[in-house]
Amino acid sequence: MSLLEVKNLHASVAGKEILKGITLTLEPGSVHAIMGPNGTGKSTLSNVIAGREGYEVTKGEVLLDGKDVLAMEADERARAGIFLAFQYPVEIPGVTTSAFLKTALNAKRRAAGQPEIDAMEFLKLVKAKTAVLGMPYDMIKRALNVGFSGGEKKRAEVLQMTMLEPRVAILDETDSGLDIDALKVVSEGVNSLRSPDRAFLVITHYQRLLDYIVPDYVHVLANGRVVASGGKELALQLEAEGYAKYLNTAA
Amino acid sequence: MNALAILDHSFGETYAKRLGVAPWSGALPGPKVEEWRFTPLRALAKVPFVPAPVDAAIGSIPGNVPTIPGAARLVLVNGAYRKDLSDANLGKGVEISQGKVPAKEGSSLVALNAAYAPASLAVHVSGAAKKIIHIISIGAAASTPAALHPRITVTAENGSAITLVESHVGLPGQAYFSNPVTSITVGEGASVRRYVSVDETNEAFHLATTLVKVSGGGHFEAFHLGLGGALTRQEIRIALTGENAEVRLNGAYALSGHSHHDFTTVMDHQVPHCSSSQVFKGVAGGESRGVYQGRIHVARDAQKTDARQLHKALFLSRGPQIDCKPELEIYADDVQCAHGATTGEIDPNHMFYLAARGIDPDTARRLLIEGFLAESMDDISELAVREQFGAALTAWLARYGTAQP
Repeated sequence: MSLLEVKNLHASVAGKEILKGITLTLEPGSVHAIMGPNGTGKSTLSNVIAGREGYEVTKGEVLLDGKDVLAMEADERARAGIFLAFQYPVEIPGVTTSAFLKTALNAKRRAAGQPEIDAMEFLKLVKAKTAVLGMPYDMIKRALNVGFSGGEKKRAEVLQMTMLEPRVAILDETDSGLDIDALKVVSEGVNSLRSPDRAFLVITHYQRLLDYIVPDYVHVLANGRVVASGGKELALQLEAEGYAKYLNTAA
Repeated sequence: MNALAILDHSFGETYAKRLGVAPWSGALPGPKVEEWRFTPLRALAKVPFVPAPVDAAIGSIPGNVPTIPGAARLVLVNGAYRKDLSDANLGKGVEISQGKVPAKEGSSLVALNAAYAPASLAVHVSGAAKKIIHIISIGAAASTPAALHPRITVTAENGSAITLVESHVGLPGQAYFSNPVTSITVGEGASVRRYVSVDETNEAFHLATTLVKVSGGGHFEAFHLGLGGALTRQEIRIALTGENAEVRLNGAYALSGHSHHDFTTVMDHQVPHCSSSQVFKGVAGGESRGVYQGRIHVARDAQKTDARQLHKALFLSRGPQIDCKPELEIYADDVQCAHGATTGEIDPNHMFYLAARGIDPDTARRLLIEGFLAESMDDISELAVREQFGAALTAWLARYGTAQP
């Protein structure tokens, strides 16, 4: 069975149709890249899959392991294994990264019928994961994303991903606001999570990220539709030629 | 216009009559007194309070009093010091005595307190006190609504240091009116930390006045927590009277049902080179009402004053009302003064972020509210107090924090 299936997905925001029939199939172990110009529905797609309010699905379905994702609340989707790495992670004053991570981890464990993690085990786990990502351990004592640089925020997203071990990870413009060093670190973190039973949906505007997170498939999104699909070479072609020809065909 | 015309005398008269003493000449502030505009006392004036019995039987200390490990415990019941309930092993540097209540007139509530307080619990600090002094004021009405007037006087001599915790609680059942007055003198170079928790019963009225004088080089750190009570006002008036005095005054309130909480602060910078900062945060649910009035006064020669004030409130439902009134009266020209105020609801983007990590909406709300309030508590430098006050808020949130709009 496919891990994540998006079938003929139509979605509107405030009555305006943004997604006009998206179909994608993510097999376990695969990395799919979604590319496309701004304003074509890339972020809408990730938000609809993750369950953000304000989007109306008018047609189609999204299935995780064959289960109806659209019938679930956002928090249920996350516990079922969908992880959205945010383009703009929000700053939450007063809530420490540590308290947040622990709450999220325990929510997932409870849903899976596992006991809550104890304090020592949790700290050990965070220590190990932050070390892998080259993050200072002290960062988890700081308020969630507050005062973090762009790179730190994205690294924190990847830290959350490594802690929560999702089935499907959606990276929404993870490369935005990153310098090349941060991009490398974040990509290495993502690559370390690649596994035969996990799939990635990497949404990006630029090809650069895909030098580091090498996809199995590349899809071009234009005007709410997938207008081209191919292997990783498609990304290079787009970098050289731009999106113009897809915009024309889509119009 | 005669200022007295806008005051309500009937309360003082009837109260004094019940007490069997000469009528109290003072009055409760009426609705037209500007400082009381947001906190009307109509409901209070209607209750036929009698003086609370000073020898009320108390089985045990109410469970909502924070546990401060290693602290000396001084218990007041209906304003009277109760040796039998106290653990007055004070340690070095601190002495207590029961003194006469100063007759000096202040506001009408201070005058009311002066007229009826049984005695003043005087805390005298002469060195660096090792032990935290925890004063617990218990309101215990018998079969009829009762009023109590606790009076606490703290004198920290030059160079001394003390940490005080003040808990205001009551026995459930009957309505009571607590009218505590705490006067604090911070000597030159002295350091006083005071942490106040007001967690009265749902039927209680609590109108507290704190009067602080901070001398040159003195430090005063305070945190006020407002959790329970039908009507609560914590009025804090601080005068910085010597150069290089520093004040940090923070507070938090959490309101549910129909409770009303008022923080009124007056920060009076009388001399140059002093600093004060205030951060007050509140969450309001149900049909509650929260008030913050903060006045900063900087005298003409109080140059190089640094005075800051911030109030932030979070609505937990559509029912509450929040009134915020910052007032800056600055007569010096070389100062840094800032004030800010925000009110809002829980940010749906924050809720979604937490949901996207698998956290259910109730837990997410609690985490966000706790985080919102925690910001004001981060500055509590006494760890045991920070933990206890934090735990009290967590317990409050478990009871009231998840109500949907």
